[in-house]
Amino acid sequence: MKLVRILAPLLALTLLTACRSQPEAHSVQFFAMDTVMTVSAWGGGGQEAAEQARDVVDRLDALLSVTDETSELYAANHSGGRPVSLSPETAQVLEQALDLCRDSRGALDITLYPVVKAWGFTTDSCTVPDDAALIELLERVDWTRVSLEEDVLTLPAGMELDLGAVAKGFAADRAAESLRAAGVSSALLDLGGNIQAVGSRPDGSPWRVAVQDPDGGWLGVLEVADQAVVTSGGYQRYFEEDGERYWHILDPATGRPARSGLASATAVGPGGAVCDGLSTTLFVLGLEESVDLWRQRGDFEFLLLTEEGELYLSSGLADAFTPEAAWEGRVTVVEP
Amino acid sequence: MRSTRFWALLTAAVLAVSLLAAAALYLLAPAGRTARVYLDGELVRTIRLDRITGTLPFSVEGPAGVSVIQAEPGRIRVSSADCPDQVCVRQGWVSTSAAPIVCLPNRLVIELTGGDPGPDAVSG
Repeated sequence: MKLVRILAPLLALTLLTACRSQPEAHSVQFFAMDTVMTVSAWGGGGQEAAEQARDVVDRLDALLSVTDETSELYAANHSGGRPVSLSPETAQVLEQALDLCRDSRGALDITLYPVVKAWGFTTDSCTVPDDAALIELLERVDWTRVSLEEDVLTLPAGMELDLGAVAKGFAADRAAESLRAAGVSSALLDLGGNIQAVGSRPDGSPWRVAVQDPDGGWLGVLEVADQAVVTSGGYQRYFEEDGERYWHILDPATGRPARSGLASATAVGPGGAVCDGLSTTLFVLGLEESVDLWRQRGDFEFLLLTEEGELYLSSGLADAFTPEAAWEGRVTVVEP
Repeated sequence: MRSTRFWALLTAAVLAVSLLAAAALYLLAPAGRTARVYLDGELVRTIRLDRITGTLPFSVEGPAGVSVIQAEPGRIRVSSADCPDQVCVRQGWVSTSAAPIVCLPNRLVIELTGGDPGPDAVSG
């Protein structure tokens, strides 16, 4: 008995030593939306919550895929101009996507799909379409002609929707919601390079999210909590023909790869879908108009890398961003 | 007598607990930097990057063909691959757990754990 009385506190002491290390992450990794995704959740019930978050992403993928013949988006794209009834979930995503187009100053258009297909970015057999073909295809691009009344979508014949620029952001928002509903207060989602933080690290310190340097390595590290960090850049998917580089982010005005002088654009804010739409928008708009949009909206922060190798940071990130050694002295903080 | 036995028992108990705790700490201590190579979600190879001394080349085969991988002390890369997009090759050397090397066409994922933790994730 005495032994037990002595051993019990000693054993309790050894338990204390275990508390010094971080609780372990529960992670699931999977392929969805044409990329690889990792959901990591900390704390009790984390494994189950992470798997539920994966289900949320998989379900959205099944609804929103442009290539899957059973998806709601595929049905809409092959409706021949007839009204289509959508599930409330798809309708909600589409409504938010149209809002993002409206706020993008013409930089984002979810009806670009016919042009994207002509470049071959969906099939990996890329080619430069000729001017005449592009002009003809651009006549079928105009998000303002998409009609969404309640859950009924009418897409004019010949037009096609592609939510590729925003789908991962929507998925991250819904997955983060699902994690929070499951009681998780510390989780990190990496949906193909779209980062979404739920809460902060398990020890209460902010998450450290690096931003990719297009030439390898990182530009620097952002400290965030409860934020999405989304980066768009020409380096992510491109092909070369006759010495020229053509990337997958197209300017809806020209139907050609957006050349605004930016090499990459990162948007930081509470919403994954908004940041996903914004990172594309900023990349297409270029430095000056991006800064203008930021001053007007005031609900997001940015990190922009110009093709000349200069970094521009919105003032809200000034304390959160630590550049890598190679980038020190090349950062300009933009004030409101 | 009784007192001697008591102290002997106590010493033995403290010793036993200490040994157990030391063993537990040793076993639970984070391993050095380790690379894990997955094909279509299945672990096909584990390399302790903190234990190899020279360059260790090897290759794996997935649906898009052969990916040639090079491991060196502390880092790993895909040096060449049959995949059409070459995204994995362009990613270059990776030495932290922040972002895995991914080759979508070949369903190949190379993950790093242990060592200097670096950032929690990479946006890009």
